[in-house]
Amino acid sequence: MSEKIISEKRSQSLHDAANAALFLAIFVGIWQLVFMLGIWPKISLPSPAMVAESFVKLMLNLSLPEGVGVTLGRLVASFAISVGLGTLIGLAMIRFKGFGKTLNSFSAGLLSFPSIAWVPFSILLIGFNEFGIMFVVIMSSIFSVMISTYSSIRNIPPIYIDAAKNMGARGFSLFRYVTLPAATPSLIIGLRQGWSFAWHAIIGAEILMSIVGLGHILSVGRDFLDMGEVITSMITIFTIGLIVDRFLLYKLEAKIRKKWGLDHHR
Amino acid sequence: MTKLQAKNIVKHFDHNGNSVVALDGVNLDVQEGDFLCIVGPSGCGKSTFLNIVAGLEIPDSGEILLNGKSISTPGPDRTMVFQEGALFPWLKVIDNVEFGLKMAGIPKEERRQISQRYLDMMQLTKFADSYTYQLSTGMKQRVAIARALAMDPEILLMDEPFAALDSQTRDLLLVELQLIWERTKKTIIFVTHNISESVILGNRVVVFKNRPSKIKKEFTIDYRRPRLMEDENLQKYYHQIVEELKNEVIAQIKDESQ
Repeated sequence: MSEKIISEKRSQSLHDAANAALFLAIFVGIWQLVFMLGIWPKISLPSPAMVAESFVKLMLNLSLPEGVGVTLGRLVASFAISVGLGTLIGLAMIRFKGFGKTLNSFSAGLLSFPSIAWVPFSILLIGFNEFGIMFVVIMSSIFSVMISTYSSIRNIPPIYIDAAKNMGARGFSLFRYVTLPAATPSLIIGLRQGWSFAWHAIIGAEILMSIVGLGHILSVGRDFLDMGEVITSMITIFTIGLIVDRFLLYKLEAKIRKKWGLDHHR
Repeated sequence: MTKLQAKNIVKHFDHNGNSVVALDGVNLDVQEGDFLCIVGPSGCGKSTFLNIVAGLEIPDSGEILLNGKSISTPGPDRTMVFQEGALFPWLKVIDNVEFGLKMAGIPKEERRQISQRYLDMMQLTKFADSYTYQLSTGMKQRVAIARALAMDPEILLMDEPFAALDSQTRDLLLVELQLIWERTKKTIIFVTHNISESVILGNRVVVFKNRPSKIKKEFTIDYRRPRLMEDENLQKYYHQIVEELKNEVIAQIKDESQ
């Protein structure tokens, strides 16, 4: 019976992949059609083939792989700092109630603050360097981690805590074995959101502040009127965003949801 | 021997800025091996009283003595079975049962043995590795009882544990619980709004009075076990308690409509 389910699952995901491929084919077809209509000059709207050419060129001269590497390196480092620091502040908000309440009342402003608005501040404070870029990314994602830590823990059903205390859990073991796991499904959603904010921020910051990276490729493309390069970089950004969310963070969330039975509606 | 003593327990709640008396001087002695049921209209403070015994709430005044010693914090010597089970969804059934033992620092090997024993007792052996969402409501409450018993508490506290169950499952668990009580000789305090439940389970039934809440009357039910829901000889106890509670329910409805 389980084999049947697995094979059904497999055919389902094959089906999904076929749909995605069909969608992409139609998209590229329409693009080609619009190109052939000649509404825009080739320099403003190249054909899919011309973009593929740009892609090959950027791969061969290594500027694309290098750009991806640099961007992801910065992103991972900044996001790690955001998660570490954001979690600590979130926990402090739980520990010191007044502080938490006050900071939480600013959360709407902090969460909706556009990442690009940090750029001039960061340039003047830190400068046109790695740390300046990282600063923008950190500031853009830390609040999401912080607020999610705070609200995830606050929204734990009190009955879990009561039950745990009733069975003798105290202090650190209460935190480690009950608070943390109980908050996990919600924490992961916060991480996904933080990651997406960080991803927005790094491209913006690189366009304005960097001399390498994916965002920089975009800005070079613009400066040299090379739309092929611009679109190549955009497609790469899209693809990385999709892969990381879909195959890493979403998978993690789905796994936890399954274990908890959160998708198990009766 | 007196296992637990509640001395003049008083508790107020803040309700929209008004102070509401939840418990107004509750005095109660629970003897070792008692199966004591507390019945009363909803909102009469019986669950609050149980939470105070568990140490999850602190009384404004009064004292709880366990084996003669004053207590005010939660502890595994008074494990609770909550209304909704309160099992941890991130743990397997067996790890739920072991949770308290783990907190007590008991080695893994020994934990497994103990939890296995209680899972067997509750007929849950097959579900040791399941997660809680895979269980029915009745099975969840069985796990919750196994989890509470695994700690080998001085007193087992039960807060309307069968309220959410369908009647067949409940009838079955009512019999099982009596057998467990006879087998383990545990002292049990069982809170319910269901009078039949209290008559079947309790050797003592304490009726709580509506606000201000205190104990109105106590009944002793000396009758063979296991008692069954359909046993007609239990009717007379049932009617005595209903009579006692009727006025309380009327008083409460008046209270709420004001």
